[in-house]
Amino acid sequence: MKTRLNFKNLNFQRGQPIFIFIMVVIICFFTGENFLSLHQEDLIIPSSGLSQQLRLSHYLPTLANTPGNTRVFLFEGKEKGGNVLILGGTHPNEPAGFIAATILIENLIIKKGRLFIIPQANLSGFTHNDAFEANPQRFSLPAQDGLRWFRYGSRLTNPIHQWPDPTTYINPSSQKLAGPESRNLNRAYPGSKEGSLTERVAWAIMQLLKTENIHLAIDLHEASPEYPVINAIVFHERAAELAAMTMMDLQMEGFDLRLEASPPNLHGLSHREWGDLTSTLAILLETANASHGRLKGKPSPQLIVKGQDANYVRAARLGRLFVPFDEEGIPLKRRVARHLASIKSLITNLAALYPSQTIKFEYFPSPQLLLKNGFKDFLQIASSSK
Amino acid sequence: MKVIYQLILLWLTLNLTVYLFREKRLSWQLSAGMVLILFILRLLLIK
Amino acid sequence: MPDYLPLLLMVLIFFGLAMGFRLQIGLALALASLGGALISGHGLALRHLVEGGFGYLDTILIIATAMIFMTSLQKSGMLDAFTSFLLRAFYRHRFLLLFSMMLLTMFPGMITGSSTTAVLTTGALASPVLMKMGMSRVKTAAFIAMAGILGMIAPPVNILVMIMGAGVDMPYVGLTFPLLALVIPLAVIFTLWIGAKEVKSLTSSELEEIIASLPAGQSNFRIYLPLVLVAALLLAQNSALPFLSQLGLPLIFLLGGLLNWLLHWKKMNFFLVTQQALAEALPILAILVGVGMFIQIMTLTGGRGWIVLVFLSLPPALLYLGMGISMPLFGAVSAFGSASILGVPFILALINTNAILTSSALSAIAGLGDLMPPTALAGMFAAQVVGEKNYFRVLRHCLVPALFELVFALGFLLGGPFLAKIF
Repeated sequence: MKTRLNFKNLNFQRGQPIFIFIMVVIICFFTGENFLSLHQEDLIIPSSGLSQQLRLSHYLPTLANTPGNTRVFLFEGKEKGGNVLILGGTHPNEPAGFIAATILIENLIIKKGRLFIIPQANLSGFTHNDAFEANPQRFSLPAQDGLRWFRYGSRLTNPIHQWPDPTTYINPSSQKLAGPESRNLNRAYPGSKEGSLTERVAWAIMQLLKTENIHLAIDLHEASPEYPVINAIVFHERAAELAAMTMMDLQMEGFDLRLEASPPNLHGLSHREWGDLTSTLAILLETANASHGRLKGKPSPQLIVKGQDANYVRAARLGRLFVPFDEEGIPLKRRVARHLASIKSLITNLAALYPSQTIKFEYFPSPQLLLKNGFKDFLQIASSSK
Repeated sequence: MKVIYQLILLWLTLNLTVYLFREKRLSWQLSAGMVLILFILRLLLIK
Repeated sequence: MPDYLPLLLMVLIFFGLAMGFRLQIGLALALASLGGALISGHGLALRHLVEGGFGYLDTILIIATAMIFMTSLQKSGMLDAFTSFLLRAFYRHRFLLLFSMMLLTMFPGMITGSSTTAVLTTGALASPVLMKMGMSRVKTAAFIAMAGILGMIAPPVNILVMIMGAGVDMPYVGLTFPLLALVIPLAVIFTLWIGAKEVKSLTSSELEEIIASLPAGQSNFRIYLPLVLVAALLLAQNSALPFLSQLGLPLIFLLGGLLNWLLHWKKMNFFLVTQQALAEALPILAILVGVGMFIQIMTLTGGRGWIVLVFLSLPPALLYLGMGISMPLFGAVSAFGSASILGVPFILALINTNAILTSSALSAIAGLGDLMPPTALAGMFAAQVVGEKNYFRVLRHCLVPALFELVFALGFLLGGPFLAKIF
């Protein structure tokens, strides 16, 4: 196999390797510029209701100046009440959580209680894309005066920020996992103060839950339509009643929602460790994202936003999916509206169950309005460029 | 650990570059170039 | 343009270049990917080509450093010394010797979950012994290739199951016995099938003759130190030791190589060792980059989704057949990719069965992907280890054992409900 092709007559001796080396440098330059462009932070314009913008290093100072030092937005009402944390972007390839959190930050006004929002929990994951998935690097949503661009990242922390992966990863709760999972934020809880970047991010989030005395914490996710836990509310056992009430609310609003108890032997996940190790009520929400699945057709920004895919329509007919999927697809606005409706209902029911933990809104972005009119009403300003 | 891996990659990158310049057959030079692109981009912590 | 058309053209370009023009496989894959991107209207798609190549960067580093380590062992004379040691220890017991070679070759695969590591490390140690015992070169390569695949599936570390488990939220717990139940019978059968007919028991005089033919090396324990270091560090990978478990395979192999160089710095030039190792490993490194590009462009053009859907569309009766065909076939691009892209949907399609048994059996099927050309990692490396240029000659001898493994694993799948009561 070694000497199949000689190209002897094409061999220009010395000049040839130099030419190839220059080509290598040129390709590195152009692709490198493209890859580095993903390190620019996404535009988020908080509403007038914002009380404070922090960074995660507030809870773990060693995160300062690291790629994990993500933004934390705090909305605080005049009256004291409940404390709630909303986490988007744990997995940057699941955009509904990131966008739902962004819409909240850009529109929310609170009268009572405190709401902490982290829109991009694994900030490093937004700076790269998974090999073999061929996903677009960005997608755009309509804003009042043009298009707003958002990054579509990877499920895992960027390897240039955390390298190399161990052969097998034993996470802080002693669960053994495949090596690359060491970069999965939602396997790293409760984290570790001196651990890897991902583990330190997890540790800082745990620290936020404890020091801010968070009563309810919601982790926003998406899954591929062929995944069984979908359109679901995954709850820690202490949050069972809250989850059940929310499911009934959502069904009345026209969102089919499945209850899933957090498996007790699956450690390192938010809904398990948050609930076990802090006093918070831990909830994880899932919607269906076709661009995330293994059956997807051509990946594109339209697939992310419109959520229409002929492969999934066929797979649904074959009974291979866990959600209904027709030609209409499952658009991002529907997935975000579902997250918003769930969040609103969870917070309302928290107040019903524990009146001292009430959060009152002056303005909460309406899921029904989002379904009807799309994102335009909720995103004021377009990005100046990609 | 990251720095150690960068050193490993530096050693491999230098060696592969030397190989590229010593090798006479075009197809092997191209193969080395393909691998070299990955090595350089990771060495500089770009991708 | 239908989603399968660019993929079809890419496959045609690949075969045209690789077979017709006898272009190297890595380059042919890269050019086919480039062609696919152009045909489907994505332009040069440089970002996608490079990003796809990166999917294998970790594997590339493991292979490059493992080759450095093995080349240094060869130069220090350790391989020859170890061969004569094993021959002296076991020369009277034919099956015992063969089976110990099987287990020895499997060992690094069991620890690292990669057939490549097994074939390149202890596989390279075992192959001279096997050949001295009278096994032909290609059969020796087939023997260590199959051992590497069993090592990959065997507990404690089976990355294929971990990948599938990650896709269905199944923790990697309780797999030791199901995996052993799969691997041990296969290990015994492969040993007998490939080895027993050819290998003879040696007499003392034959043994002396063989050992005398080996170049005289120093036989003190010093030459084994690098191997001991690497073995110890490999074991530590599986422990909870905070620092040692973080080393990663490339560093471990390089540390072994460096120790070897320090012990033998007079007769070994580390730069030349690296040059030789890279030159020998380059074909496979380029193939891996090419395969990465190919998968990425295949996904980009919708070809991957089309393939997964075709296999999921099979009626239930044909589903098992579909698994048996598609998973090894897809392993041509990567066994790990096969586990992730096909394994996960298949487990979901069999949602009513015990996920631990299903994923164990599917890992045995997906592992066979390492014998599927053009990559055929296990077969190609095994061929390289024994010095055989044409790896298809090695794969021919793997065919029957591989089919046997496939049938055995499918039986394991079908018998799942019954087996679930045992485990």
